[in-house]
Amino acid sequence: MVRFLRKYFPICLLLLAGVSVIWAVNLGTLPPAEFVFNNGTEVKTIDPAKATGVPEGRVINALYEGLLRSVPDGDPDELGRTPTKPKAVAMADDYRVSNDGTVYTFHIRDNAKWSNGDPVTAVDFAWSWMRFLHPETASEYNYQLFYAVNASKFAFVDLQEGDPVEVEMKDRPVPGQMFPRGTVRHGRLVSLLQPHDDHQSAADDGHGHGGGGISGAAIFVVEFQQDGTVTTAAYTTQAVESEEIQALVNAYQGEYDLSELTSVEHVLFDFEHVGIKAISRNEFEVTLNSPTPYFPELVAFYPLHPVHRPSLEKYGDREFTKPGNLVGNGPFLLKERRIRDRLRLVKNDQYWNAENVHLESVDVLAIQSETTSLNMYLNGQLDWDTKPPNTLIPLLKQREDFVSTPFLACYFYRVNTSKPPLDNPLVRKALNMAIDKQSIVDNIVKGGQIPARSFVPPGMNGYESAYCGEYNVQEAKRLLAEAGYPNGQGLPTIEILYNTADSHRDIAEVIQQDWKKNLGVDVSLRNLEWGTFLDTLRVGDYMVSRSGWIGDYADPNTFLDMFVTDGPNNQTKWSSRAYDNDIERAKYESDPAKRMAIFKEAEQRLMDEQPIIPIYFYVSLNMVNTRVKGFSANLQDVHPLHLLSIDSRGAED
Amino acid sequence: MQVLMFLLKRFGWMIVTVWIVFTISFFLMRHIPGGPLNGERVLSEAVRARLEARYNLDAPLSEQYFTHLWNTMRLDFGPSFKLQDYTVNEVLAQGLPVSAALGILGMVFAISIGMTSGVISAVRRNSVYDYSFMLLATLGIAIPNFVLAAMLIVIFVFNLQMFPAAGWGDLNQIILPAFCLGAPFAGYIARLTRTGMLEVLGNDYIRTAYAKGLSPRTVVLKHGLRGALLPVVSYLGPAIAGILTGSLVLERIFVIPGMGSHFIEAAIQRDYTLAMGALLTYTVLLFVMNTMVDLAYSIIDPRVKLE
Repeated sequence: MVRFLRKYFPICLLLLAGVSVIWAVNLGTLPPAEFVFNNGTEVKTIDPAKATGVPEGRVINALYEGLLRSVPDGDPDELGRTPTKPKAVAMADDYRVSNDGTVYTFHIRDNAKWSNGDPVTAVDFAWSWMRFLHPETASEYNYQLFYAVNASKFAFVDLQEGDPVEVEMKDRPVPGQMFPRGTVRHGRLVSLLQPHDDHQSAADDGHGHGGGGISGAAIFVVEFQQDGTVTTAAYTTQAVESEEIQALVNAYQGEYDLSELTSVEHVLFDFEHVGIKAISRNEFEVTLNSPTPYFPELVAFYPLHPVHRPSLEKYGDREFTKPGNLVGNGPFLLKERRIRDRLRLVKNDQYWNAENVHLESVDVLAIQSETTSLNMYLNGQLDWDTKPPNTLIPLLKQREDFVSTPFLACYFYRVNTSKPPLDNPLVRKALNMAIDKQSIVDNIVKGGQIPARSFVPPGMNGYESAYCGEYNVQEAKRLLAEAGYPNGQGLPTIEILYNTADSHRDIAEVIQQDWKKNLGVDVSLRNLEWGTFLDTLRVGDYMVSRSGWIGDYADPNTFLDMFVTDGPNNQTKWSSRAYDNDIERAKYESDPAKRMAIFKEAEQRLMDEQPIIPIYFYVSLNMVNTRVKGFSANLQDVHPLHLLSIDSRGAED
Repeated sequence: MQVLMFLLKRFGWMIVTVWIVFTISFFLMRHIPGGPLNGERVLSEAVRARLEARYNLDAPLSEQYFTHLWNTMRLDFGPSFKLQDYTVNEVLAQGLPVSAALGILGMVFAISIGMTSGVISAVRRNSVYDYSFMLLATLGIAIPNFVLAAMLIVIFVFNLQMFPAAGWGDLNQIILPAFCLGAPFAGYIARLTRTGMLEVLGNDYIRTAYAKGLSPRTVVLKHGLRGALLPVVSYLGPAIAGILTGSLVLERIFVIPGMGSHFIEAAIQRDYTLAMGALLTYTVLLFVMNTMVDLAYSIIDPRVKLE
């Protein structure tokens, strides 16, 4: 054997290589798609309830459709931007709002269908929104629905004695899979038993926006009413045998009958008492805590798109998103998915408006490298490049296929207000005024960005932004002197933190020079890799840090509610009662003009105290092949795929 | 029998190595700042707690270690944190064939180009061919593959328009990256072949072969090349390791959805499970390849004993 091999070894090697090459070359090839674009990165998930981020949004908006859709609509403004509006051109063909602005009733169109032919009904929406809010789903965006009555109680398991509750037994048909759920019983929470020392705090209503809910060991005594008879039962979501639960049982043994304590999956606030209801097959009603003028924007936002219950229950929480399993209700279907390569979408013939969807197939590429992406665009492999490299913008700007416009996003610096000397608002204001933002825009980013004098970008419907002052070195010096640091004397070195990227470094260097030159402040730079950067920001181990924010919807609230006291995205340790009150007051104000005035007042507080230093407003940067029609520059940089078409005459040029 | 013992012993060592790699990387990963649940948008405490429970991140570190180890032993790497629609096993199953295809083609380029030019250089020693091939070989070794990639893209994609800029799917798209991947190894192989060949050609038995009246082609290809093959085969071990890890950057440049892309992204995004899966796959792959090279070596050279 060995002798034989020895003799023919070179030939064997050649054969092996030949076979491997043939195999390698024959690995799946796809016919080219009609429209190809770079989505910038691999999407984290295509499950609407679990997704966050812009790339995910592009795909989910193609595969699913919510009650409303944000589409470019109306005349362009002076910057050439088409406003986007949430309109009933989606699953709902109409909706009405009650006079006090708190009850929304959506009418679902009769020809709304899932891609397998099932009708889309109000029940689908009620169920999908329940799943979206369910604590076990742990949706990162769940706060978008907290405007609905009792929704946050359901999501946070925020229970009081006397509340209606739903108890899910431990009998799920498929073990380890969330849906279908086990048997659900509806009752009333009579008593909530917790260890004595924190019993008080649990009964308290002091749960803030950030969480609440029940932590640690708890026994729920629930009362059920059925045909006039009342029964009670005791439940826990932990193991009955666990030490903590046994301790509780011993402590409360005398007061309650805990002999039949049962371990269950969940005890939640009863979803039937949450303001989300299917009234009939076509009528879907949402009751809000307060008039929320931008609620239609939220309804059009992709996390609230419905999912197909039967396929989710059949395949489970992860497998239902696979090509072949996925049943959607959007203009496109998922044909194939290759991880970190592409998603192939094809037109969905069951879509209610299929006749107006022009693209037959779309490839969504996950190209991370901006250079490669541009290469492919220039080489004709891409029709739409969503992130051309910054360094080439001045060059690309002169081309007619470069589509760019300011949109709802702000590049800003967070200032850690707990670190002296930055705890002094005067110092923060001086730092802001000493930055030549115009020069950053003209010489560093060069894409036509707008220097920011406020945090909320211009262009929000009916909103006029606050103002934090122009570049003014004299005033900055005066403020610094007033703060007790004339000419920067006695001021410690200030450190700017940014995540590793050339563009951020370039901006930080300019600001470093500005502060040194104008104020005499010594500035050091620290860059961290993305993951570490986020962690550092979260624990507040920084002085000044680079940040950015893209508005989720066209309302100042998406920017301003970040900086309420202890808001998870605040991260500056800044806290202002007056500001918190403003944001809260705006929630309950139904007159749009008054509401905007309140927001302006709040933003002015933010600008006066300056826990953040706005630098510039982003512009959207798109390279779009001229044969693509229906692509309009707009305020939110959304370009729904079903509105695009290919002008074949252009292709022959 | 001897071969079987050799393989068994190697297998034992592989298990130990994998375990050590697992342990070190497990604790390293968890001790660098950042985590899979961190994003630009900060999670509310309630959601964070739920997600930590889902991924067993709230358990004590030692417990996480043993659970993860036990699952790894059953070849179940768990769900990916950042590719939530997939398990790590699915991601690896998609990425490995792609990287393998790229690696094999790169290796074929390296061996065929390297050996051909090496043999020609040796036979036509000190000729123009010899000098130019050896110059090219030196360049191939010296130029990093991402620089080479940039140059080739300018020439072949934009000037000659022979190949697409990037992407994965058909033969056209594999050739440039495979060539970039194989180039430095082709350089090494050319020099090794040349040296080996020169040494062999100076031997008595080659002179005997010529004296017996064999044609130069037979002498060179049949008797000469066989001897010159030895150093090349022993170089294949490190070469395969290099090809495996060398593809990380090229996959990024040419948008190839292989193991390298998944590994880099997993590390950057703190996708604990996927990073671990990719790392262990690399470990096993390297071990297997080295073992195969050792086996091959013993097959062509009777003087080599397996142990």
